[in-house]
Amino acid sequence: MKKVQGAVHFVANNKLSFERGPSPVELYPTPADQLGHHKKVQPQPTMEEILPKLETPAMKARIADLLSRYPEAQGALLEVLWLVQEALGWVPREGIRYAAKVCGCSPAHAFGVATFYTMYKHAPTGRFLLQFCRNICCEQKGASNIIAYTEKALNIKTGETTPDGLFTILQVECLGACGFGPVMLVNDDFATNAKDGKLTMIPGETLTPEHVDNILRWCYAREKEFKNEPVRDALGGSVAGHLGHPGAPGASAVAQIFDYAPPSPVLGLKAVSKETGVVLTWKGAPEFTRLVVEREEGGSWKEIGEPSVKDKEFTDPNGRSGMNYRMIATSGDRVAKPSKEEKAV
Amino acid sequence: MAEKIKVCTGNFGKGAQDIAVYKKLGGYANISSRLFDLSQFEVIDLVQRSGLRGRGGAGFPTGLKWSFVPRNTGKPVYIVVNADEGEPGTFKDHFLMIEDPHRLIEGLIIAGWALGSRTAYIYVRGEFLPCIESLNKAISQAYAEGLLGKNIGGTKFSFDIFVHRGAGAYICGEETALINSLEGQKGQPRLKPPFPAVSGAWKSPTCVNNVETLMALPWIFQNSPEAYAALGTASAGGTKVFCVSGDVKRTGVYEAPLGTPVMELLTSSEYACGIDGTLKGVIPGGSSCPVLLPEECEKATLDYECMSCFKTMFGSGAVMPFNTTRDVVVLLNTLGNFYSHESCGQCTPCREGTGYAKRIINSILNGEGHDGDLELLLSLSDQYNGTTICPLAPALGAPMTAFIKKYRSEFEAYIEKNPNHGSPRICATYRPGAFW
Repeated sequence: MKKVQGAVHFVANNKLSFERGPSPVELYPTPADQLGHHKKVQPQPTMEEILPKLETPAMKARIADLLSRYPEAQGALLEVLWLVQEALGWVPREGIRYAAKVCGCSPAHAFGVATFYTMYKHAPTGRFLLQFCRNICCEQKGASNIIAYTEKALNIKTGETTPDGLFTILQVECLGACGFGPVMLVNDDFATNAKDGKLTMIPGETLTPEHVDNILRWCYAREKEFKNEPVRDALGGSVAGHLGHPGAPGASAVAQIFDYAPPSPVLGLKAVSKETGVVLTWKGAPEFTRLVVEREEGGSWKEIGEPSVKDKEFTDPNGRSGMNYRMIATSGDRVAKPSKEEKAV
Repeated sequence: MAEKIKVCTGNFGKGAQDIAVYKKLGGYANISSRLFDLSQFEVIDLVQRSGLRGRGGAGFPTGLKWSFVPRNTGKPVYIVVNADEGEPGTFKDHFLMIEDPHRLIEGLIIAGWALGSRTAYIYVRGEFLPCIESLNKAISQAYAEGLLGKNIGGTKFSFDIFVHRGAGAYICGEETALINSLEGQKGQPRLKPPFPAVSGAWKSPTCVNNVETLMALPWIFQNSPEAYAALGTASAGGTKVFCVSGDVKRTGVYEAPLGTPVMELLTSSEYACGIDGTLKGVIPGGSSCPVLLPEECEKATLDYECMSCFKTMFGSGAVMPFNTTRDVVVLLNTLGNFYSHESCGQCTPCREGTGYAKRIINSILNGEGHDGDLELLLSLSDQYNGTTICPLAPALGAPMTAFIKKYRSEFEAYIEKNPNHGSPRICATYRPGAFW
């Protein structure tokens, strides 16, 4: 919890602020406050500094794959921002500009998008980003105690990074693992404990101070094992075999042809014998262009009428109960198989 | 006692992430001449007869939704899977996608065939990277087996599935916000109409379905729509995956037929095994549903109609019981923080109103409440309804009203902690916009 001082810096590099004096209302820190928004000015790298990391052949291939998936390049914006964050560890201003250029939208639009979503980091974080859920189920199970414990153990506040650059603590909204609450994310993995060199989340094991210790120990062990944190694919691995979106750059797909499926037969045919004759009802499909009603006479089918496709019912004045009926629908130039035979009752 | 039928969770714990295992368990049996001999209209009719309703929260009949998608307009039809599961208390899709990604792919192929779609996007929330990895692996395997891609099964039907990673915004679970996010914009909901079924992603017909809805399709095809309808209640067929969290002995994801009594889900040894402590209340369908008192829970069953009789919602099936040691003011405070943080900022009643409610609840919790605060919160809650584009603000209003009406004495006890509670509120923080 922190006191809001009334100073709001929407843009970290912008000098603009609205000083209204201190407010006595206590608010939870939000991720937006925590990284880059309400903080002091974050030094930004230049485009020349970040381009070597972004314009690698592997990255170019991945971006080309992404662009082939969407009818408009802008659809890939979120995914390209993820790639920028994967390559740089955070999303600097020039990284946003690069994503905008790739996706053919304005830098202002990309900046709006990058600041709307909470998972893009606008300042570098520690090697292990510890995100604690503080929503209703986790709160009920003692999330605030766990967060307080971790803050004390690492001697930092929420939103801060330890001086050795290892840990950053964030409080976030529901993480979607409520049954295990309280839960945390260690970078991209859910964890309620660490066992045998692995982060685990198994039923019946919730986050307790001992488990937090286990997880922190796991982090320290990993720090010793790898000098740098191994890069995790931000888009969850590649998929071979995509044809892409028809018409997108680099896509080999063509638009779906219309008549790949068999034409629709008439469904739900019902025949009811009344005083005026046999009344037939059925379910219409928007694709029908012609309907034919047939009646069984001496073992063969005889056409007895042609209702309009907009009709809801058809009356056979010569019909009696016990006669068999069926309907045949035509869609364009394709004739469907006959409907189920229906005996008039 | 006969074994319960499991429509969606049948393959849990069997290693069905691998396509060979999934096929051995009877998967992809529908993707054969069985599906490809049916016309689009027949598939939609079959889904309509099953009584399947959307499992994401609103409960709209799936077959009906599909029948709204126009055909042969010259525009592509998109299927978007809503896997942006952010409703507090809900975690079923998370485990459905990790345990059984192939069932989702099979359901998508059926939906793609029925709607004449060429491209499907699975919008997974950013926090679920393990799910995305599981899905991508499964999709790769499906391409390798020829179940996706060009001319599937020798027909002229081609289909691609892409996974789209979101980046952390609860509001993207709303279908039009999700479509905006898919287009690379801020996830702000759009005005309806036009409905996405007519003009959705990139102004093309778009069908947005929940993960669980699509995962029920393979079972419906394998058995029959009538068998599925028979599992549930008269007006809604089938089973539902419930996520039980909070004060029960065994939390987790349980599949039960619609119409199961609330107390059976919470106390049966098949499901949650009993309540920890004494029951104080149950939030029956995710955080945006009004709370039920214990005496109401005794009578309530988990289906759409019964829940609306109790003036609450069936929602996404997240059942959250809490016991007498929990403080409802703290719970409501958490909700106020959540909704005011997740408001997208588009409509004023929501952007300002949720923050306003949050500040009042916060001050009540801090012992700075005043007489009349509760009436103010109730009137705020009324003003959320119908004044915003999407139901995010009403989703705070509904539980807020229920919490205050059902546990009023606890709120009043908090207000009385303020020695000046009788005086009017004249503090600057009280007004809307004081934050700025």
